[in-house]
Amino acid sequence: MGVLAAAATPPWLTMVLLTPLVGAVLAWAAAGARLDATLVRRGALAWSTIPLGIVIALWAAFDPQAVGLQFVERVPWVEAIRVEYAVGVDGLSFPLVLLTAVLTPLALALAWREDERVATHVALIMVLQAALFGCFVSLNFFFFFICWELSLIPAYLLIDGWGRDPARRRGAAQTFVIYTIVASLGLLLPFQLVYLATAHAGRPTLDLIELGRLGTGQSGMAGGDLQALVFAYLDAQRFSDTLGRFPLLYASLLFWAIFVALAVKLALWPLHTWLPDAYAEAPVAGSIMLAGVMSKLGAYGMLRVALPLFPEAAQLAAPFVGALALSGVIVGALGALRHATGDMKRMLAYTSINHMGYVGLAVAAAAAAPDTTSRALAIDGALFQLVAHGLSTAALFIVIAWITRHTGSHDARACAGLRSRAPRLAGAAGIAMFANLGLPGLAGFVGEFYIMRAVWASAPLYALGATAGLVITGLALLRWYGQVFHGAPRGPHHAGPALVEVLALAPVLVGLVALGLYPAPILDLINRTALSLAAALAGGPSS
Amino acid sequence: MNLALDHAWLIAALPAAASLLIQLMPSRAERWAGPLAVGAGALAALLALLAALAVAGGATAAGSLRWAPAADGVIALGYRIDGLAAALIAMVAPVSAVIQLFAIGYMAHDPRQARFFGFTTLFSAAMLTAVIADNLLLLFIAWEVMGLCSYLLIGFWYERDGAAMRPAPREAAIKAFLITRVGDVLFLLGIALLWHETGSLHFGTAPGQLFAPEALAHLAATPALPGIPAASLAALLLFAGTVGKSAQFPLHVWLPDAMAGPTPVSALIHAATMVAAGVFLVARTYPIFAASSILPWVAAIGALTAVGAALVALVQTDLKRVLAYSTISQLGFMVAALGIGAWGAAIFHLITHACFKALLFLGAGAIIHAMEQAVGHDGPTQDIRAMGGLRRHMPLTFVTYLLGAAALAGLPPLAGFWSKDEIVAHALTHGAWGVAAALLAASLLTAAYLTRQVWLVFFGSFRGGATVPHDATGAMRLPLVLLAAAAVLVGGINLPWQHGLSDLIGAEVGAFHPGIAALATLVALAGGGLGWALRGIATDADLAQPNARGALALLAQGYRLDMLYRRSFGAAIDVAMNLRRWVDRAIIGRLIALVGTTAGLVGRITASIDDIVLQGGADLAGRGVDELGGEVRRSATGRIQDALALVVGGVVLFAVAAVTLLRP
Repeated sequence: MGVLAAAATPPWLTMVLLTPLVGAVLAWAAAGARLDATLVRRGALAWSTIPLGIVIALWAAFDPQAVGLQFVERVPWVEAIRVEYAVGVDGLSFPLVLLTAVLTPLALALAWREDERVATHVALIMVLQAALFGCFVSLNFFFFFICWELSLIPAYLLIDGWGRDPARRRGAAQTFVIYTIVASLGLLLPFQLVYLATAHAGRPTLDLIELGRLGTGQSGMAGGDLQALVFAYLDAQRFSDTLGRFPLLYASLLFWAIFVALAVKLALWPLHTWLPDAYAEAPVAGSIMLAGVMSKLGAYGMLRVALPLFPEAAQLAAPFVGALALSGVIVGALGALRHATGDMKRMLAYTSINHMGYVGLAVAAAAAAPDTTSRALAIDGALFQLVAHGLSTAALFIVIAWITRHTGSHDARACAGLRSRAPRLAGAAGIAMFANLGLPGLAGFVGEFYIMRAVWASAPLYALGATAGLVITGLALLRWYGQVFHGAPRGPHHAGPALVEVLALAPVLVGLVALGLYPAPILDLINRTALSLAAALAGGPSS
Repeated sequence: MNLALDHAWLIAALPAAASLLIQLMPSRAERWAGPLAVGAGALAALLALLAALAVAGGATAAGSLRWAPAADGVIALGYRIDGLAAALIAMVAPVSAVIQLFAIGYMAHDPRQARFFGFTTLFSAAMLTAVIADNLLLLFIAWEVMGLCSYLLIGFWYERDGAAMRPAPREAAIKAFLITRVGDVLFLLGIALLWHETGSLHFGTAPGQLFAPEALAHLAATPALPGIPAASLAALLLFAGTVGKSAQFPLHVWLPDAMAGPTPVSALIHAATMVAAGVFLVARTYPIFAASSILPWVAAIGALTAVGAALVALVQTDLKRVLAYSTISQLGFMVAALGIGAWGAAIFHLITHACFKALLFLGAGAIIHAMEQAVGHDGPTQDIRAMGGLRRHMPLTFVTYLLGAAALAGLPPLAGFWSKDEIVAHALTHGAWGVAAALLAASLLTAAYLTRQVWLVFFGSFRGGATVPHDATGAMRLPLVLLAAAAVLVGGINLPWQHGLSDLIGAEVGAFHPGIAALATLVALAGGGLGWALRGIATDADLAQPNARGALALLAQGYRLDMLYRRSFGAAIDVAMNLRRWVDRAIIGRLIALVGTTAGLVGRITASIDDIVLQGGADLAGRGVDELGGEVRRSATGRIQDALALVVGGVVLFAVAAVTLLRP
């Protein structure tokens, strides 16, 4: 087609996408060639700095003032259904691309501790990275969905093949995959209908951005917004004879189908029950990728797809979405408290449910807050929370992996007084923990602050309820920390984190402190897109 | 002189830099941690005093930096040295430096120098930042960092276990962090409310800022929740933060346990400065409180706390717990003063109290340090029943402690007399009879518990064994002398005829009535008599044991609030935790299992999803879907179903294949 050749800049995002896949192939090839496992580990880690480097370069080139997409590449693909290969990033996706690029090397560094089928292990992590990149940069539902489903395979295999408890990992992996695959029908079927509706109106498309503009009534297409198009289509099929002439009803059905599919990924209550098992059983690299990046896909999808496509339905649904999210906040906090002096990864899994609950609240606020400012702050807060939670959770998983390796148990009660034995690790764990529980001055606070502000504007009582989660999660994490690190030391002397752990933890901790003190580098990426999306959402239903 | 003001940010930045340096220093340099902390603190104190003088001369300083974008606006964080900030930094910075000097001696034998001084300097930096912050967000950030330092320093001896009536430091640390967090999250909501309603968090009166007249009018007129004006709700939420941080009833329960930290920490954080931050918060946001209707509640909480905690202090047998309840009680004085409109007097009492309470705690530290030598580390080092006669063995500590106690009791002409009198006089002259009566009763009790404590500690003969304790040497002596001088003299900053502080912070000049002053003095003297009469109270039986009964035991155990909270909130959380587990397993788990069974079905037919959902739709969803399917078949775009179904089916098949292939 010559499109790539004609482009003024190199296809950076495509390179970001393909590099990990090439890396995976190389790793498998290396395994085939029976290369030394250490070489494979080093090679994979080194290789993962390539996408990281490109993404950081893109960060420098990203224009925070620009409205709309950047670094866009478009190539016609499946012409029959007007599908393009289209990638690009904006304020919604770029922070998450950055997060993926940062966390994957950490996961690979932690995979250092894995001695079983090393090449396949690192290859799967890289495939997962590619799939996640694909989800975030894809501008077309077709490609988005492929990546969405593709990401399940390495995730499944990582849990099933390298999980910690041979008796339970298969079950955890299957629950996780079945949950997600069943839920993904909620994406597939509505989008088929949306496609047919746009085709009916004469402009068939699966372009996420165009659909978003259509949903918020910005595209100027004859026939109105997406809700109207869907209704027109169903009406033409005489579907409305059966269910009645209620455009908002159909839009709501589609919204909820999409929402549920995404809520499973985000582990929003009551669709969270797969998560504690999956996080607990996954190998540490898998936990980092799952908790750090993959669960963020759900929130990303809500902001990218669910809200813009059907803003009126979203606004109608917001109180219920908020209620589910609030339940998740409380349930996550209570679950974490229950496991505070028990299974450490399970405790962390429940804090993730708690934190994603705040993101769910932010999504509800973005859909329904009375003013554009509050909606934009909700989006700002949600995305920042995703990034901060990804970092702090990854750091805590690294810490817990170290503890488990040295005590031989994943139970917090197996250790005590570790702070005397490994003070540097205790310090690192402390920073990560306080960032995770939202201490001001560390990154976890910023997102929660913006979210509280936005939620207060739309539903003060929800904000009040959410504060209970802040307190209880704090109690859970502090109890865990006290159990593991405080008290009189027990057991053998530990050497403290090794170079791999230090290298993995240091950048995350620096990031948590730096972004807590000065969050602008990330918020600047988000804010312009958040504003325009908020304006579109706020303006959509009324116009 | 303006040099200090021009670089006022250094006042907070110097301790912050010192903290960073100390925490990053190699372990062989640890012995420099203390001197570095004191050096940075002294420099900050010098700058703070010079800046305060400059502000008293009419100058101000401010500066800010962009922190983050926020929708269509920007959040800028900065500092502003106005009268109130100047008064506070002039107290906080020197008192912190003096306490850290004491700590060099007190902590000399602890192996974790860097950690200790790294945290205390971070604390100083945070407190100073909170004071000079020009907006509510930065104040909150610093406020929470103080909470963090409090957690870290209460739990400083994290490996120690607890004993009867002496909780393990690590437990006390969690308790302190968590209970103050209850207040803090409500404070955070208050910030959210104010930001939402006024669009700004900046403590300015210019249009578009938090204290602009139009913003305050809007807050007073707009209901935030049905029936509650935004101003009242905001004030209530901010006050929740104060109740937590300043240890007011009903969230005061963390402070007595916080005494598990090293004594210089108790002096610095849990007596002189951080706990006063709550009082400062109300003073700083007073325009919002003035526009609200909750000030009577503020006064009631303060008065109740002042009396209730003083009563408890009367029967404590732990040297530091007496002082802890005393601190709670004195903070109650300040909060009550805020509630009756005497916010200038509250700040005055905050400053004088910081001086003499720091002195008392350092005196207590000197005693504990000496007791450790006399009765051993594991002996009753803090039990006043094991002391006695220290007047002769520790003369310097005795004299300075006595001055501090007299200042706290409000004996003229020491510092506490002037500040306490100003509060009482304001209450009596503004018709706040209930508050006045409560505060006078609290004054009586204050003098009583101090007399009892001083008697038991310093008079009689030593009851702790053959080895007697001795006065401290070296770095621990000078701080006692300096703070004793402050306890005597610092009242001079706001005398009835020379009200420098009121002028500086722009508060109403307190009234002075010789009759009221005489009354207050008589009450204090009577309290002294009462304390002497009650000097033997609660010293024989161990009333702190949980099974002790009677009114004295109720007091000794702080009204058993800990037990009450454990049995109510603690039990509620336990119930909720079990309920959560039951719901997850019994309800959601079963539902998911049901879906899973269905999914197994779906899984088997994924490959032919196209037929089921679209072409065979008639069987499933009736005529409408059938027509949809028909349309799809007819349309040229029908291939999308095939393509997407291929994705799902292919992915599943691939997964299954991969699973089987990759199995070892």
